Amino acid sequence: MNIQSFNDIKELLAALRREDKLLYEMFGKRKSLEFKLSYARELVDYDEARIEYLIEKSVLRQNGGLLEIDDLYLRFFEQVLEVNEEINLASIDENIKSIQENIVYFLNENNEHRKHAYLREIKRTFRKIGIVTIRSVIDLRRKVDNTFKNEPNFKNKQLKLKHLDEKRIMVRKLQGQAIELINENQPVFFKTSQDEELKRIITELKIQLNECSHNLIEIEKQIINYLNQIKQQGLFLEKLRKLKYLKAHFTIEAETDIEEQLSKNNLLIFERRQSEPLNLSIDFVINDERAFEAIKKAATNFKTRIQNIPQLAETIATDFLDNNVEQEIMINLEEVRNHFLATGDNLFSFIKNYNFNKEVSFEERVTIYCQLISLYDRELKVTNEYENLKGVEYAMVYPK
Amino acid sequence: MKTKYTSEIFEILRRGRFICSNSPDDQIRMLYGILEEEETFIELQSYFNHINYHLEHGNEYFYFSRSESNADLDRKLKKTFGWIDLLDFLKTFDLSFDIGFRFSPAEITNQLKNNADLKNKLDNLKIIGADKRNYSERVKKVIEQLVKDDFVALENEMNETYKVLTSFNYLKELVTAINIPEEVENEIPE
Repeated sequence: MNIQSFNDIKELLAALRREDKLLYEMFGKRKSLEFKLSYARELVDYDEARIEYLIEKSVLRQNGGLLEIDDLYLRFFEQVLEVNEEINLASIDENIKSIQENIVYFLNENNEHRKHAYLREIKRTFRKIGIVTIRSVIDLRRKVDNTFKNEPNFKNKQLKLKHLDEKRIMVRKLQGQAIELINENQPVFFKTSQDEELKRIITELKIQLNECSHNLIEIEKQIINYLNQIKQQGLFLEKLRKLKYLKAHFTIEAETDIEEQLSKNNLLIFERRQSEPLNLSIDFVINDERAFEAIKKAATNFKTRIQNIPQLAETIATDFLDNNVEQEIMINLEEVRNHFLATGDNLFSFIKNYNFNKEVSFEERVTIYCQLISLYDRELKVTNEYENLKGVEYAMVYPK
Repeated sequence: MKTKYTSEIFEILRRGRFICSNSPDDQIRMLYGILEEEETFIELQSYFNHINYHLEHGNEYFYFSRSESNADLDRKLKKTFGWIDLLDFLKTFDLSFDIGFRFSPAEITNQLKNNADLKNKLDNLKIIGADKRNYSERVKKVIEQLVKDDFVALENEMNETYKVLTSFNYLKELVTAINIPEEVENEIPE
């Protein structure tokens, strides 16, 4: 395949513009390393010739069924869009060399016109140094962060950070060279040159370089910090792995001081969480509305659990329900007194012979005799004559 | 004057939990701020000392310890062994699993598909028992345990994101504190 280049910038821009859709997709997927030719065909409306053209002009490269943007273009896009992964320090170095060369040419040249051309080149390069240095510092910073956060491989992370640190030293060195170049190396040139624009560019460059040096110090700190973190993480992982190994071999207790460490360690987290059987405050139970609610709630639980079965009595026999009349003859003392008052007999013999409509024993009759005397003593006349009957001595009592 | 949050602080710490500076719970962060004031800290420390709890300030976290532990050595060993396995599992899942790290159960479950080492470690985790067959359930159990011990906390309920708390420092310090004699160390293969 013969390699052709574009005839002029116009042709190049036209070609890029025509295939912007394809290039946009490919640039977006540049990291995946797998851009299929078949997909590219789709993007150029299945016009194979368009892809062929780009390959011919070395914008694209074909590798089997895969397609990729040529490195030259890829780098150009990345650098212009400031998404480059690589930090290109060679260009700073080259630029410094180029300035030194051009200064020599400038000083040697007598022709004003050509002298001016050299001066222009010097100014252009100085401007470039400023931009490239700042860019590389920004890139460096971004890369350091990305590497620390995203690199999954532990050893590579450490190595990459170390390499970035080397790059940092390089940038610093180059920056030092640039400052040296301005301040010391070509005193004749900088003193003799009366160009206002150059002075302005140099001032600007000095500010940029100064900013870079601040940034570089910050990056250095960052890298040291990251490396330390990695180292610590590494030490920790190593320790963990070893403990795990000893544990798996059941020798951890015998081989390490774990028991001693743990016996010193009395964190509550080791303890079983204990429940606390606290008694309820009586005041709370009595006075608080919430306690009453709780009791009611608890009570409903109990209700459902224990079922009260009422015990039934046997049926009552019907003869219990019949009316039973029991008669008792009561002695009406008043009636006895009335009858007595109407007779002339003495009280004792009257009561002894009185018909009470029921059997009344002698002892009971004596009791009635006494009751009558005590109840109606004002209507009776108790004499001092006494008589005797069946061993009972009694006073002769008459109505008044 | 003792702070009005004394009982709140006590309730959290006495369960063996931590008060972390990076807790997603505003309340706990607020309590951390209160404990961070030196005067309050000293006062509460002596106050809790009377009831045999030592308020201690770790690296970005507070916790309780006792002069006489109620847990015996066996229990402590068992718990520590569980943590070593757990740490090993988590570091296998992601090397940067550390304070402030955010993860979701789905991420772990997803990695199980293509990381045989991780899967093997999950299978051998004792704390979750062997009854759970389903991997996502096992991962859930692992996280539950971490939440229970207060080393991670749910940060976002919507997308189930958990955050590693500063109490994770405690685990790291514990591992670092264990000393392996050099001659033993040399016998462990790389």
